[in-house]
Amino acid sequence: MTSYTDKIREISKRLLKEGKVDMVIGFTRGSVPMMHQPMFAKNQGDVDRFVWDGNCGINLANYVTDRKEKIGIVAKGCDARNLAVHIVENKINRDQLYIIGVPCTGMLDRHKLTASVAGEIESIMEDEAGKTVTISGNGFSETYDRAAVLQENCSLCMHRNPVIYDELIADKVPEQSENDVDRFAAVRKVEEMTPDEKWAYFDDLLSDCIRCYACRNACPLCYCPTCFVDESKPQWVGKSIDPTDIRIFHFLRAYHCAGRCTDCGACVRSCPMGINVRAMTKKLEKDCLENFGWEAGLTTEQRPPLDTYKPDDPEQFIK
Amino acid sequence: MKNLLEHMGIDPGRLHFSWISSAESTKFVEVAKKVTEEAVALKSKEKKYMKTKPKVA
Amino acid sequence: MSTKEPKIISFLCNWCSYGAADLAGVSRMEYPSNIRVIRIPCTGRMSVKFVLAALRQGADAVWVSG
Repeated sequence: MTSYTDKIREISKRLLKEGKVDMVIGFTRGSVPMMHQPMFAKNQGDVDRFVWDGNCGINLANYVTDRKEKIGIVAKGCDARNLAVHIVENKINRDQLYIIGVPCTGMLDRHKLTASVAGEIESIMEDEAGKTVTISGNGFSETYDRAAVLQENCSLCMHRNPVIYDELIADKVPEQSENDVDRFAAVRKVEEMTPDEKWAYFDDLLSDCIRCYACRNACPLCYCPTCFVDESKPQWVGKSIDPTDIRIFHFLRAYHCAGRCTDCGACVRSCPMGINVRAMTKKLEKDCLENFGWEAGLTTEQRPPLDTYKPDDPEQFIK
Repeated sequence: MKNLLEHMGIDPGRLHFSWISSAESTKFVEVAKKVTEEAVALKSKEKKYMKTKPKVA
Repeated sequence: MSTKEPKIISFLCNWCSYGAADLAGVSRMEYPSNIRVIRIPCTGRMSVKFVLAALRQGADAVWVSG
């Protein structure tokens, strides 16, 4: 992974030096392990703080919304797809961006790692070959197979290489195909339940929610000037942690991502309670694929299905 | 696309879509009856998604 | 809470179903009284928010008609 880091620093330095961009957005080490944070490098001195490893799970596309400068941005597969979504939705211009593409092999699941040991994790190391992960803290040190501790969305990812980029920092990594992984297995399991079972399943899933809106804030798709949960005239959804209100919030949040979500996992990663909020967005992703043959962020040429009409759109739900 | 609602455990009979032209009053009555019938059939079941009374007013 | 009569919130498009409902009324046709009509300027005005807000406030069913 150090080669990735070096290459990112080298490219960023060059871009800033040549004045091609006003700033580069990338990752820097956070104050605690496994929490790398975004960094905006505006001069060449900053770029040495850029890093890249398996803890860069935040979606950087979140930070380019409505920006006016020329921006260099470090983008893994899902980030690049979200940038494409942003371009389609006129939230940024393609020529404002210089995309530094990072072929990605998945990000580590911090919830999984934290839960796997009793103590606090003080350091995390990945080997150069990208096969194992070692976490250590006061009195323990554990080594895991890297593939086993990936975020769920990463292990099911079909687009590990950036779809749009100006420069790649390494050779493309092999993509997984429909034959290797069954990405909608979890969704199908829920689909088979009866309405009551489904209700109970989501009741249980959302029972921990504290309405902190971290999932909303981490999501690159959520850029409305006023979010529906903050609207009070009329008020669509209560602000309490009443189960009904929690449910409505999650439902609407997920629904707003229909046909736009790239399953980057930023929502799950940011959730302080470890709720798998992808349970809803994944279903919408599946529906979009089945009904419209659409996957978000793969092209900047085409309009997304929910803002176009085609005569052959499915309509069997209409009486 | 509203099958997310169903996915989250709402009975499919609680949400209906239809397309009726302004000249089709008979179709309107027909669909209205059908929708009501389905709602009556579901009525016996527990009400979901309804806001419960807040604990603190 | 009454257990007999369900409450159905219906969102009707001004130009289509609302017209049909009007015509049904004018022609003195009978239809169930459980339906509470909300007229929307066009079905394009419909939003998921409306459905959820209706259910939240105690609707038994929601009917959207264009």
